[in-house]
Amino acid sequence: MRRVYREFKPWLALLLRRRQRFLVGAFLVWVTVLAGLSLLGLSGWFIAACALAGIALAAGLPSSLDIYVPGGGIRFFALLRTVARYVERLYNHNTVLTLLADLRFRVFGYLTRLDDASLRRRRASDWLSRLTADIDTLDNFYLRLLIPPFVALLCLLVASAFIAIWLPGVALMVAVSLGLLWLVITLGYAWLGFANSHQQATDQRELRHLVLDQVQASAELMSYGTSAWHQRKISSHEMHAAVNQRRLTLKAALGNALVSIVTGMLVLAVLWLAGIALGEGRVNGPIMVMAVLIILGINEAFNLLPSAFIKLGASYAAVQRLNILSVNAVSSASVVLPPESQTYSLRLNNVSFCYPNMFEPALSNVSFVLPAAKRAVITGVSGAGKSTLAQLLMGRASPSSGDVSVAGFAPLKLTEDSRAAHFAMLTQQVDLFDGSLAENLRIAKPSASNKELWRALDQVALSDWAQQQPYKLDTPVGEKGQQLSGGQARRVALARLFLRSPNVVLLDEPFAGVDAQTAQHIAFALDDWLQDKTVIYFVHQVDDANLLPGVEHYWRLAEGQLIADTGIDS
Amino acid sequence: MTGITNPMSGRDQSGEPLITPRLWLQMLAHRERNRLVGAAACGVLAGVQTVVLVVGLAWLIDQLVIHGRSPAQLLPLFGGLALTVGLRSLFQWGQEVLSAEASLRIRQFARAELLAKIAKLGPVWLTQRQSGALATQAVEHIDALDGYFARFYPQLRIVVALPLLIACVVGWLDYLVAIFLLLSAPLIPLFMALVGMGAERLNRDQFAAVSRLSAHFIDRVRGMTTLQLFGHTRSAQQEVWYATDEYRRLSMRTLRLAFLSSAVLEFFASVAIAVVAMYVGFGLLGYIDYGPSPSLTLFTGLAVLLLAPEFFQPLRTLSQHYHDRAAALGAAESIATIFNEPALVPHHIASPQTPGAECELANISVGYIGRKPALQAVSMTVFVGDVVAITGESGSGKSSLLAVLAGFMAPLSGEYRRRSSKVAWLDQSPCLIQGTMADNLRLANPEANEAAMTDALRRAGLGALLEALPAGLESVVGERGVGLSGGQAQRLALARVYLSTAPLVVLDEPTASLDASAEQAVIQALLEWAKEGRTLVIATHHPAIVHVATRHFVCEAGKLNEVIV
Repeated sequence: MRRVYREFKPWLALLLRRRQRFLVGAFLVWVTVLAGLSLLGLSGWFIAACALAGIALAAGLPSSLDIYVPGGGIRFFALLRTVARYVERLYNHNTVLTLLADLRFRVFGYLTRLDDASLRRRRASDWLSRLTADIDTLDNFYLRLLIPPFVALLCLLVASAFIAIWLPGVALMVAVSLGLLWLVITLGYAWLGFANSHQQATDQRELRHLVLDQVQASAELMSYGTSAWHQRKISSHEMHAAVNQRRLTLKAALGNALVSIVTGMLVLAVLWLAGIALGEGRVNGPIMVMAVLIILGINEAFNLLPSAFIKLGASYAAVQRLNILSVNAVSSASVVLPPESQTYSLRLNNVSFCYPNMFEPALSNVSFVLPAAKRAVITGVSGAGKSTLAQLLMGRASPSSGDVSVAGFAPLKLTEDSRAAHFAMLTQQVDLFDGSLAENLRIAKPSASNKELWRALDQVALSDWAQQQPYKLDTPVGEKGQQLSGGQARRVALARLFLRSPNVVLLDEPFAGVDAQTAQHIAFALDDWLQDKTVIYFVHQVDDANLLPGVEHYWRLAEGQLIADTGIDS
Repeated sequence: MTGITNPMSGRDQSGEPLITPRLWLQMLAHRERNRLVGAAACGVLAGVQTVVLVVGLAWLIDQLVIHGRSPAQLLPLFGGLALTVGLRSLFQWGQEVLSAEASLRIRQFARAELLAKIAKLGPVWLTQRQSGALATQAVEHIDALDGYFARFYPQLRIVVALPLLIACVVGWLDYLVAIFLLLSAPLIPLFMALVGMGAERLNRDQFAAVSRLSAHFIDRVRGMTTLQLFGHTRSAQQEVWYATDEYRRLSMRTLRLAFLSSAVLEFFASVAIAVVAMYVGFGLLGYIDYGPSPSLTLFTGLAVLLLAPEFFQPLRTLSQHYHDRAAALGAAESIATIFNEPALVPHHIASPQTPGAECELANISVGYIGRKPALQAVSMTVFVGDVVAITGESGSGKSSLLAVLAGFMAPLSGEYRRRSSKVAWLDQSPCLIQGTMADNLRLANPEANEAAMTDALRRAGLGALLEALPAGLESVVGERGVGLSGGQAQRLALARVYLSTAPLVVLDEPTASLDASAEQAVIQALLEWAKEGRTLVIATHHPAIVHVATRHFVCEAGKLNEVIV
């Protein structure tokens, strides 16, 4: 129980940080419910009073019943109910959307501090859509699990306090029985459904994995004739999950039936006790009717609680997943590179790197020195360790053993800003954002003028293409840069680098997906821009040495080991 | 299966009517008609109990207040009403359980149907799709149907019956009030339609905005590496907040209108109570003397007062579940597009006519529907024990040809015939499924025993790894367990081939992106399989593999030519 609370705590604090908005929102819901109760109660009182007055009048007795004040009250509550409901929904949805912004801000903050290995593991699009779903779950928490129980409690207190004016005994019974009901359908139900709904979240994740397997391994499943076997695996998992789901539904349905039976019986009990009080003259008819009708209407405040609280386990699963992100976030480093007059040499001393859970090291005992302002090429097949080496040099991963140093500092110790200022890297997988060409370029340099952007595009031979586009620099690149071809996307990513002036540059396959003529153009522009910078090219193999001018060091990575190449093996 | 479901199963021939989202939902509902009707009936019966309860309460109150009777004298009625309360809970429970069960079964069926369809579309179709998106369709989108079947659908039936029933009871008590309710009733759908039309469009806009916003968030998260490299994370984080807040500002504008529909219903229910209360009050005081008013009593007055909101309740519940319908339609739309895809996988593969042939291609053309065929008029007979290498530029159609040989895709024309139903398949990026080493091997042969699996791993050069693994064959591999390098994964795929009894092995660029030692392991395996008498067809541009082959074909300019040495 305490563990559950601990996991929820930071998020609850975030949701309740805007305390005033929470109180106002709850107040509005409460007013809506109370307006409904008052409308029903007052109408009942009015009818009963009129009936008694009518009988008195018919019998010729004097009767003074003010029909205008209650009549006005009824109209007022009818209107208040409508208006309060409308305002409440608008106000609370506004709050929920504000909280969504807060939640995303926080989760994004966690993600910005993740290291490369954790990010790479989370690249898959299904992880990302689950992330947004988890945030939405927490967002729903506010409207489903925070406001309603609070309002229900307030309503039960006010209703019983009101009845206590005339019938304290009845009021006590109402308060106790509804209080117990409240406990059962909130805390009790959270406990009762916790394991099931947590299991449901786990089952769903498992199902997702099985479906992903079926899709990704479809070639193997179809050719080996094992599709039916795998589908049986899925359906047996579903059967198993259905048992749990049925249990959950059954419990939720029982909770709703419980609310219905308790409030229904309570109405009868109130009528019984109030009827006795009426017989004894402790209360008059209209008041008794009012009390009964208020209790009749109060189930509105309790109705949705069981089905909301029974799913607490699912929210817990979401919170657990989000909390893992905050645990994985690395603490940010603090060293800032001195701005100028540095010689940015790269040095690796006996560096090994092993990914968690991997048996074979990605790099083993790699050592080299690249003096400042020199250029090197490292070749190797994919999986040979090139990307890992680049991540180590960029300070985005820490070596399992050995030392990495850039200009005499361990890159991991540098602050993100300092690293960004001095290092630049063209990654193997380029990230373009859904926005215009200019927006994507300005990520590298927010203050860049249009002229600078055109110059950068010219350097990667994209300016002619961009000129032909109807929107020029405002051409949308699409989600993941899908409006561009793979080669164009890489060139845009390269153009971003041209907007900066780093000291150390790592280029992973800079000429992939580019035809020979364009490659030559880019190589020429690169040569110019790379003057006085320390550079490593990472390529599959050297196809054309002309593309890599000024390179003095040729190294090859194979199975995690660095081998010095004497020449070009093309 | 009834006739209605036929369009789903027989959709390979072209010319079949396409399935629409609404039609699909109807067909699904039809499968669980009994439970759904039962749920609606339970809902109506629960409503009837509510009617009995409030009318009974009104009568009790009338007896207590006007006729001065004591509760003890009315004990039987109290008991009767307690029974009614119990019955109401029972029916509510029944409605919920029945509709939930119907929804569960429908979702299971729909998911199985979708997965079967995906299997029929085959690996070639799947390579053009994002597997994450497909998994979302099969898991989350199918689950999005829950609200529609568990809540909206039965409620739609209840809405037709229950208000009418309540109006009848009210009419029996006081026909003026019944007339008032019935007059306001047609106004509600009218208002709802007016507001609903706007709201539905808004709802759709809202959906679009939500997905745009999620896309923005996902877009930034996906590009986190780049943001970090450019030191741009802080401003991106701010941007995330502003984008969400901007969305809040925009959507509040639309929500103002969207919430009107629920406000309209709330208004009607509240006004009905107010109007009935005033009418009954004045009637009881004797201020109204037309129609049934003079005969009003506290009993009839209270009963119609309490029945008035019940009259609107089913509609209000329906409007609460309206978004379930929108969600289900959205999900059905995305799933129906998959059902409408033409299947690529052949129905049936006949046996070869040439004696001694493992498989044969009779004048086939291969490629994608709607595009120029990559290869035309291909005839080729592969005999048992042949080792066939197929070379050609990328894009020359050799991958498509291999897909036909493996049975992933039917040829555009001509006939493909094969001896065995099973084929062993190996490509350059072998798939590791979630689970243990043994699960991954069973993919090739579910019946394989432990000894066979160990032997296969050893022959594929993974003996040392197997010994190093803490739980041996039961070690979890892949994302959630021990990570395998590219070379190890390819060796695991080799082990699958060893384990399989398939006589024909089809390999698509098996050595691309492998380091030298893994490459050597593949070539070694090829030689062993050939020695075992298996038939191999290999698409490759690796000279060493072409050298191993006994026959060599080249894909060139839309033709397949055999190289005779």
